[in-house]
Amino acid sequence: MLAYLHIPFCDSKCHYCAFNSYDTKSTLKKAYMSAINDQLRFELEQNAIEKQSIRSLFIGGGTPSCIDAARYEPFFALITPYLTPDAEITTEANPHSATLSWLQTMHALGVNRISFGVQSFHAQKLAFLGRNHTPVTAIRAVENAFNAGIRNLSVDLIYATAYDTEALLNEDLRIACSLPINHISAYALTLEENTPFFGRNETTNPSEELARAFVASIVEAGFPQYEISNFGRYQSRHNTGYWLHENYMGVGAGAVGFFDDRRFYPPSEIEAYVQNPLARRTEMLSLEDLHVEKIFLGLRSNVGVLTSLLSQRERENAAILLHEKKLVQINDRLFNQDYFLSDELALFLTR
Amino acid sequence: MQSRIRNFSIIAHIDHGKSTLADRLIQECGAVSEREMSSQMMDTMDIEKERGITIKAQSVRLTYVKDGQPYILNLIDTPGHVDFSYEVSRSLASSDGALLVVDASQGVEAQTIANVYIAIEHNLEIIPVINKIDLPAADPERVKDEIEHTIGLDCSESLNVSAKSGIGIRELLDRIVDRIPAPTGDENAPTKALIYDSWFDNYLGALALVRVYDGTIVKGQEVYVMGTGKKHEVLNLMYPHPLAMQKTNEIKTGEVGIVVLGLKNVGDVQVGDTITDAKRKTAEAVGGFKQVKQFVFAGLYPIETDRFEELRDALDKLKLNDSSISYEPETSAALGFGFRVGFLGLLHMEVIKERLEREFDLDLIATAPTVTYKVVTTKGTSLDIQNPSELPPVNEIEEIQEPYVKATVLTPSEFLGNIIILMNNKRGLQKKMDYLSPERVLLEYEIPLNEIVMDFYDKLKSVSKGYASFDYEPIGYQAGDLVKLDVLVAGEVVDALSIIVPRISAQSRGRDFVKAMKEIVPRQLFEVAIQASIGNKVIARETVKSMGKNVTAKCYGGDITRKRKLLEKQKEGKKRMKSIGKVQLPQEAFLTILKID
Repeated sequence: MLAYLHIPFCDSKCHYCAFNSYDTKSTLKKAYMSAINDQLRFELEQNAIEKQSIRSLFIGGGTPSCIDAARYEPFFALITPYLTPDAEITTEANPHSATLSWLQTMHALGVNRISFGVQSFHAQKLAFLGRNHTPVTAIRAVENAFNAGIRNLSVDLIYATAYDTEALLNEDLRIACSLPINHISAYALTLEENTPFFGRNETTNPSEELARAFVASIVEAGFPQYEISNFGRYQSRHNTGYWLHENYMGVGAGAVGFFDDRRFYPPSEIEAYVQNPLARRTEMLSLEDLHVEKIFLGLRSNVGVLTSLLSQRERENAAILLHEKKLVQINDRLFNQDYFLSDELALFLTR
Repeated sequence: MQSRIRNFSIIAHIDHGKSTLADRLIQECGAVSEREMSSQMMDTMDIEKERGITIKAQSVRLTYVKDGQPYILNLIDTPGHVDFSYEVSRSLASSDGALLVVDASQGVEAQTIANVYIAIEHNLEIIPVINKIDLPAADPERVKDEIEHTIGLDCSESLNVSAKSGIGIRELLDRIVDRIPAPTGDENAPTKALIYDSWFDNYLGALALVRVYDGTIVKGQEVYVMGTGKKHEVLNLMYPHPLAMQKTNEIKTGEVGIVVLGLKNVGDVQVGDTITDAKRKTAEAVGGFKQVKQFVFAGLYPIETDRFEELRDALDKLKLNDSSISYEPETSAALGFGFRVGFLGLLHMEVIKERLEREFDLDLIATAPTVTYKVVTTKGTSLDIQNPSELPPVNEIEEIQEPYVKATVLTPSEFLGNIIILMNNKRGLQKKMDYLSPERVLLEYEIPLNEIVMDFYDKLKSVSKGYASFDYEPIGYQAGDLVKLDVLVAGEVVDALSIIVPRISAQSRGRDFVKAMKEIVPRQLFEVAIQASIGNKVIARETVKSMGKNVTAKCYGGDITRKRKLLEKQKEGKKRMKSIGKVQLPQEAFLTILKID
């Protein structure tokens, strides 16, 4: 069992970001932080969650660090008894707003992992992306987190932007590696609908060679790849849980919860959510839906795909992929040999 | 009453304004109100309107008053493409006169000439009409000279009109009444009517559009269709009209009308057949009835192999509607179960495939079109081959013969060089070259049918900037030095891609073929080799490189459903591809042959 809390607030909105977040609604923060507790209480009860059963809590956004750390206290008071003693407790943070005291308070509340939205250490690239922090702020934030006693630290890096060259990406990586981190998330810039970047292909650098070289460099720097965008000596339990198709509770506006064969969608508008945090839309998943999800999630990560899941036809397709060395089989699982082809492999396997 | 009837067709080249002129005549006679008028009234199928061509002949009965006397004018529209020349000949056989419509700036075209000759054979009164005279480039005098020179038709009384702006339309109608002879059938003789078109109506069944030569057809009459030897009762009779057909109890001598016999199959009322009275039969059928002959054959296969029966149903239904197709089941190692379908020509093939896909919701693969080859085996037997993969092993072939046609091309002289090169590339043998004027040349070639059923027409248009026109007629078989070219995809022969080519150009065809395939086949998970071979010898190879990446960056708890839907969409897109072993080929890969020179 995993739990996810969504913080849909930001100090500013990045040019490429399509997440459910708002930079103009900060007056709602107080009401929102109260509403999430109402929903959490309901979820715990509704799903009959047992004490010490949640292996991981992840606070994402938006920008969790744009909320005063003290405002998280009631939430932690409520959820902590349900977390396993060794639970992974991660929060995302923006270098600009994650101050030393914020980090210290969060650590005191139980947070033991921080994922920093760094994106780059290159000032112009940061400005181009619409980020509101500088390279120096980012470096200091990571060091502060370490000094606050948090040992599992990750930085997000973005690549395939128009600014990227092999030299620039290597420099981003070099600086990241000089910091006390044990995890890197590296995302290719994606032009999402309803963002300023959408439809502007000139903002990207689609070079496959560059992408592959960057990924290889990250691995070489000592961060083994365990998913198309995730690398680390420490592998996030939370992320892996998603790819293992584990159940997750989704708390907050625009969060998503998943239990066995259905997904739950609370309102994504903050106002609507605050008004009724228990309202939710339910999506029923068919066996076929779940089957396909297990396959593509398994192929984009080191989770792999259980051969016993496959139909006769899919096994024939798998045999071709094994023969072509696109997949390898270890015991009863198939593993992807080239994450860049994950989706194509899933399509082929289920064709 | 026959003296008040005028039956006429319009002969025109594509784009010379036939449909617009028909619209104008209909309007002038008040058969359709302003409000009901849509352009190209006579082209009723969507495909016809989209492509701007007439596929099915249509007719309309008009009433025109001249000097206080009402006349019945039956306008008999004719298809405008060389694939449908037999229908044209039947339409002309039903007419007593024809308007020869020529674009005032374009001049006479090859197809026009061919149709005029058919009209002359049928002793039709021909009225030259120069259309589009209001265009700046119009040169009616030059065009008249050309008509006189090429066809030998007196143009001293030709009419200048503009169908678009309505110039000269009344004069034209008057001229039709004055010059086109009235029918002269024997009103008391046994019924004798020519079916010059037939089609299928969802409510009324198979309908026959007829011209009554002798006698009459009355409601309730028992009639006899001479070609099929079957008797039917006349359930209903109608006069043709593009919007609202008008019921009648009788179609009189010399008239044109629609006969409803309550039949399910258009094949029972084939174009060219004769309807007579079941008890009092006419002595002789209308001459010139031919069983339709398919010139082009291609395999049609459902992409989803389990939809074979649906394809069969669709073909059965379409055949009721268009009896000019033929089909037989066949199998392909690559494509599974399908049909070898015979067509009148390449346009007909495209139209049929499109109708099957649209009207029956099928996704189809069409294989390379081919003609019927005659193979003489070493044992002395003769085989008709309509599918290259059926060709016997080389050591059992004594000789392969292929059908030839006489092709007529008319072109402005500036494109002569291009056209001669094209004809040579297509193995054409020049038989005639006539300068009709310093600017225009008529060429005659003997050329293998196979060369012109492919994309010859498009090529001719492109080398002549659209100015050259062309027509052809079959002239029998000739032996050729031909071989089968196989195509291998990822090391496997794909039987549906095999073609028969002249040995002398096999090498270059093979190279061009694999090159064109490389452009069509999308990158896949694996590198895909595409090879051409003759016998066991590979003569050309190209490689489609493997795909670089296909993955989305983020997929966490909130993204999974969206991600699944995205994949499903990609999967839907791939459904239109055919899996051959590990490779997925798009539909158009099977028509690669049309993409090469």
